[in-house]
Amino acid sequence: MSQVHAPNPLRDPRDRRLPRIPEPCVLVVFGATGDLARKKLIPAVYDLANRGLLPPGFVLLGFARRDWGDGDFESVAKEAARKGARTEFRDDVWQRLAEAIKFLPGSFDDDGAFDNLARMLTELDATHGTQGNAAFYLSIPPSAFPTVLQQMARTGMADNSTAGGWRRVVVEKPFGHDLESAKELNRLVDTVFTAQDVFRIDHYLGKETVQNLLALRFANTLWEPIWNAHHIDSVQITMAEDVGIESRAAFYEQTGAARDVLQNHLLQLMALTAMEEPASFDAEALRAEKIKVLGAIKPPRDMAAYTVRGQYDQGWLAGQRVKAYREEKDVAPDSKTETFAAVRLEVETRRWAGVPFYLRTGKRLPRRVTEIAVIFRKAPHLPFAKTDTEELGANQLVVRVQPDEGMTLRFGSKVPGSQMEVRDVAMDFLYGEAFTESSPEAYERLLLDVLLGDGSLFPDAREVEDSWRVIDPIEDYWRDHDDRGGRPELYRAGEWGPKGADMMLARDGRSWRRP
Amino acid sequence: MTTLWDTTGTAVVAALAAERRLAGSVSAGLALTLVVVVDESHVAEAEAAATRAAAQHPCRLLVVVRRRPDAPESRLDAEVLIGGRLGPGEAVVMRMYGRLALHAESVVLPLLAPDAPVVTWWYGEPPNLIAHDPLGVFADRRITDSWLSADPMGALHRRAHDYAPGDTDLGWTRTTLWRSLCAAGFDSLSGPVRRARVAGAPGHVTRALLAGWLQSRLGVQVEVSDAPGTGLSEVVIELEDDVTLRISRGGGTTAVLSRTGQPDRTLPLPRREIGDLLAEELRRLDPDEPFAEALEAATGTRGLSDRSPIRRHIWHDPVESPDPDPALTVS
Repeated sequence: MSQVHAPNPLRDPRDRRLPRIPEPCVLVVFGATGDLARKKLIPAVYDLANRGLLPPGFVLLGFARRDWGDGDFESVAKEAARKGARTEFRDDVWQRLAEAIKFLPGSFDDDGAFDNLARMLTELDATHGTQGNAAFYLSIPPSAFPTVLQQMARTGMADNSTAGGWRRVVVEKPFGHDLESAKELNRLVDTVFTAQDVFRIDHYLGKETVQNLLALRFANTLWEPIWNAHHIDSVQITMAEDVGIESRAAFYEQTGAARDVLQNHLLQLMALTAMEEPASFDAEALRAEKIKVLGAIKPPRDMAAYTVRGQYDQGWLAGQRVKAYREEKDVAPDSKTETFAAVRLEVETRRWAGVPFYLRTGKRLPRRVTEIAVIFRKAPHLPFAKTDTEELGANQLVVRVQPDEGMTLRFGSKVPGSQMEVRDVAMDFLYGEAFTESSPEAYERLLLDVLLGDGSLFPDAREVEDSWRVIDPIEDYWRDHDDRGGRPELYRAGEWGPKGADMMLARDGRSWRRP
Repeated sequence: MTTLWDTTGTAVVAALAAERRLAGSVSAGLALTLVVVVDESHVAEAEAAATRAAAQHPCRLLVVVRRRPDAPESRLDAEVLIGGRLGPGEAVVMRMYGRLALHAESVVLPLLAPDAPVVTWWYGEPPNLIAHDPLGVFADRRITDSWLSADPMGALHRRAHDYAPGDTDLGWTRTTLWRSLCAAGFDSLSGPVRRARVAGAPGHVTRALLAGWLQSRLGVQVEVSDAPGTGLSEVVIELEDDVTLRISRGGGTTAVLSRTGQPDRTLPLPRREIGDLLAEELRRLDPDEPFAEALEAATGTRGLSDRSPIRRHIWHDPVESPDPDPALTVS
């Protein structure tokens, strides 16, 4: 039974100075010694503490297969916070937090360890006043999910009513590797927890600019009238990385660019760009609109022409020689895993009929950049001489997600001088580094939302499944292609992807924007 | 950076335009213009604070230093900077001598960013009536700091007397962290409140405003008591069912939150720099109703939110009458 309180008289909706602070709770991190926990989670917890956004009763409980005590974990966590925090590291803040850091050693198949965990959660209610509230962060490989979830079901610790407070679970991508496995995973998670207590993290959705995309579209009158096929020619969504696969070979060999990035980040960005206006900004209404648009996205009919996959070859990037994908450590020398994927998708709705959405992602591209470029149609008639407008391109609205968060609008303007010449100029709105250093990092924001129980920035099971419905046929086609002796097209590291990607747009009479 | 000696407003506008061209593509979108009114002796502190706040809110910073309004000759000196020592945005520091000091708006008006909200901040003794200072009359938001007054509680009463929606006082901003702790401590409590008490340094503006806020939200008389130290030291809220919530400064930068039946908690309660307080103020550009209510309760006034947000300039010459209306000085 969750407790019902009268509204807090000290909380006034008009009082926007007071931050939203979660109820007292325990954050249990499975895989607390892993990379993600050290690089992102623990620094985010510290930042929240430093900003005064953690509740009076808060406990960080690490769970991992290490023979550690509370102190060992605390010192590792301190190092992680010192390295990764965005806000200034202050010893007194850490001292406060350190008192609430616990560690529980155990492996996932050890019943005893989970019994201990369940007991510990009950004890914390008494000693730290956590009121039965706990969030479980599964920072572990997907293969370990079933074991951990079954353990939680067995000990009843996922059950809101036995706990007396809320119990939530946070899952990291990948959410499965195809529709079937995603459904299986969703079934498992959603039966152990209730669907509304499951938080799937897509850290892109925690980024300031992505949230600003919603403000841009739905708070202004300027864009809505032209946000449709009458005025928009095409949309290009790019997520480029300059790094290779680093130490993730084992994971990446199984996954590839399409499953790693296209299925989640890019389709989510596409959904936010294409969706209709939600009735409100609560989780339910936002998801309803995203699900509608994801359901309307159809995989390309002509797979050969409108899907491209590539794999990086050796080359030069940023002045350094880099290895080919197949030469990376732990990668099969004949690997057919794609490190670049580009597709052309369409949204089959009245608003978007006939507007292609070109999505591309890749590793070892010239620079790290993520952006959404909305390219408008050219003016149907130009009252200038043809030679006056030779340098005039299409109007573009570009939302830069990272780096240099901000927006650019490109339009034609007269070149100063006695002749009439029109060329493209860019108008920039920049959330300069200086203005965003104080804005929270994506993980910080998302973690806070989990503890507050606000699910609006988290995709739910249905969204994940609908995304796989788009990606699965593409993966199937590529697998068939492999069977017939095909392989991803090679591109030199440091290039904007394989030739095929350029050909794909050239076929439509378009070209990629250079981000 | 451009430095102009004995110059005119027109030359300052031209210098700002030239600096903007020089800076290449204009650095960032402007959200507002921040006008800082400050004495020569506190310019450095005010600049540091404004720079810190400007790092979070892209703004055009206009610092006005009024010097010797009784000087025989009027004179304007100005310094124009973009991306210099005053942060990433645009900044103009102006020193006005003689009668010009009383007509500062003639220089400032053309420098306001087009159609962006204007915030005026007085760093120093707040004006008796904001309507006396034209730099406050055209502002959408006005920020004073009663704490800096020679008579802080008197200044707070004058703020209530003079209040118009859009005014705030940094004494109120200093309550935010305390208020946030109170609200967090109260989150899982319910039931009627029997009494509440706020303890702090005698005559402390923030103590009065925090008590006023609790009174306006909880609907009970809040007792104010003296405690040693420089600021707030404790808030105690007693509920009808004998639960007591106590938040006390634990020395340094922490607070201890204790509640009947629960273990004590230590929570961060940093002392914030003035720049951070200012940054918090710039987050909102609409009237702050909870402040109006806290101010009403703290000073025993009524109907502050119903007043007109628009002021009309009242001519006042400080050289002729240093204190225009002694009746306003509330003891």
